[in-house]
Amino acid sequence: MQVIFNSLIRAAELGLLAVGLTMVYDLLKFANFSHTTFATIGAYLALLLSSNAGLSVYLGAIIAIPVVGLLGVLLDKVVFKRLRGSSPVILMITSFGVSLALRNVIRAIWGSDIRSFDIPLYRGINILGGMITPIQIGIIVIAIVVMIIFHILLHNTRLGKSMRATSDNVSLAQASGIETEKVIQVVWFIGTAFAALAGILMGLDTQVQPRMGFDIIIPVFSATILGGLGNPYGAMLGALALGFAENIGITWFNIPTGYKPAIAFGILILILLVRPSGIMGKKGL
Amino acid sequence: MGIVNYLAHIGIMIGIYGILSLTLNFQYGFTGLVNFGHVAFFALGAYGSTLLVMSGGTHFLVGLIGAFIIGGIFGLIISLPTGNLKEDYWAIATLAAAEIVRLFFVNEGWIYGGPYVAGPFGIRGIPSPWSNVIPTDVYIFFYLGLVAIFLLITYLFLNFLSNTPFGRVLKAIREGDDLPKALGKNVFSFKARSMGISGAFAGLAGGLFAHYVSFISPYNFQAIETFIVWAMVVVGGIGNNRGAIAGAAIVQLFYSSTRFLKDYVPIDSKTLASVRMIAIGLLIVLVMLFWQEGLIKEKKSEYKNKLKRVSHD
Repeated sequence: MQVIFNSLIRAAELGLLAVGLTMVYDLLKFANFSHTTFATIGAYLALLLSSNAGLSVYLGAIIAIPVVGLLGVLLDKVVFKRLRGSSPVILMITSFGVSLALRNVIRAIWGSDIRSFDIPLYRGINILGGMITPIQIGIIVIAIVVMIIFHILLHNTRLGKSMRATSDNVSLAQASGIETEKVIQVVWFIGTAFAALAGILMGLDTQVQPRMGFDIIIPVFSATILGGLGNPYGAMLGALALGFAENIGITWFNIPTGYKPAIAFGILILILLVRPSGIMGKKGL
Repeated sequence: MGIVNYLAHIGIMIGIYGILSLTLNFQYGFTGLVNFGHVAFFALGAYGSTLLVMSGGTHFLVGLIGAFIIGGIFGLIISLPTGNLKEDYWAIATLAAAEIVRLFFVNEGWIYGGPYVAGPFGIRGIPSPWSNVIPTDVYIFFYLGLVAIFLLITYLFLNFLSNTPFGRVLKAIREGDDLPKALGKNVFSFKARSMGISGAFAGLAGGLFAHYVSFISPYNFQAIETFIVWAMVVVGGIGNNRGAIAGAAIVQLFYSSTRFLKDYVPIDSKTLASVRMIAIGLLIVLVMLFWQEGLIKEKKSEYKNKLKRVSHD
């Protein structure tokens, strides 16, 4: 039971990040290495608002998430928009530079110390033999709710329709009167806001540190590729699969925790060898 | 340590990173392989040579040869599962592979026995070669010469390779797999060999590094090193060997000179370290945005001349 809980928590965090990553990939066709940095920014911003500005942690989070979303849009406007149509390699290297700069901005402002949110320590609840804290239950519930909202947005709104159309064929979407640049902005906003949410959840679960975004980059990419790059539902499934794989590997197969990223990497290599298009194939939004 | 010695130190670092940027440039600039895990070769070379010399008791040169071989083998190994991948998958796979290599050295302390050594503690007291014959006060210049020789060898060899039929196939692969495939070239094998050759030289750089600084730990080989080398390649000019060395010099000079900034500006050393990294990140972004050809453009004109000659024949 403990394995299931731990896996679900991990999957919730990975899933939120993987969905954002895969959406940006789907529209702009490049692997955004700066994506997980927004998780770090989100966590630190919420921390700033709650412990320095005196807001409650939850209010701080609610403000931080859209702010990070806007930051994502801004980043696209200032940097990535100028490189539309460049080779994916150029975009990847650029995103790496962005991630390096942003991560160190955080480090310059807040230092490298490990911090944590000012929340009371909850006692774990015993459910069917596994321990889980109310915060952790909250993390899983929030991730599921957000994914459902995302699904409704994608399929039952005009915006979702134009997002799917743009993903399918940019020129066709433009010809049908969809402002694709606006759609791209919305996708950046949602993607980076999701990342911020994931970062805050990770911070609530454990701690906040400048490396947290970078440390999770390999599992997030593995989950994304596992589900098929560009496929948000695949990304969710990939995150779930990876969450379980990591925790089962550590608990049942006694893989040393130090090698946790190696599990993600092993699965990544395996998937790339067997099914490069991921378990759900390439289907776009 | 006088100013001259400090310049020699910077020179050595430029030489070592110059080899790294030459080899990364060979992978990306010539073959089009987006290697985001270049530091893995550096780490393997450094540890390989250190262990050979310290545990195996071999000579420094044997250690370097070991570093060369280990780097080369790792280049081939990493190509096996990933050789046919598209560039974005390749980038992720290499990034992950480098992290695994680092984790190996963090977790596996047994490779070099003793309490509080190896693993996260690192290995200290790595012997400097020929330090018993060369007087201490000129040793740093001797090592500078040594590094310069290896840099020159790497440069000449990679330059030579890029003008051979082998090198031309690599450049064709860079522009897309289809054309070389249509000409009956085994793209996979060429990519693997490109990784093997450049990996071997990058391993050599690792060996030179370890015996120079005499202390290595997994913290020397974090992903950040890879991006510093990337900054060198893009600043110098992608696909140009002289550019790669020039880029290494510029980034390293910037990196070394800003270290003393804290003596003049009220800033603590931790913040300064972050600010330097911000500058490197911004440098990569700015070069990609406004100056993609970098300092020295790739020489493409000679192909035009050759084509003319061919058409006249």
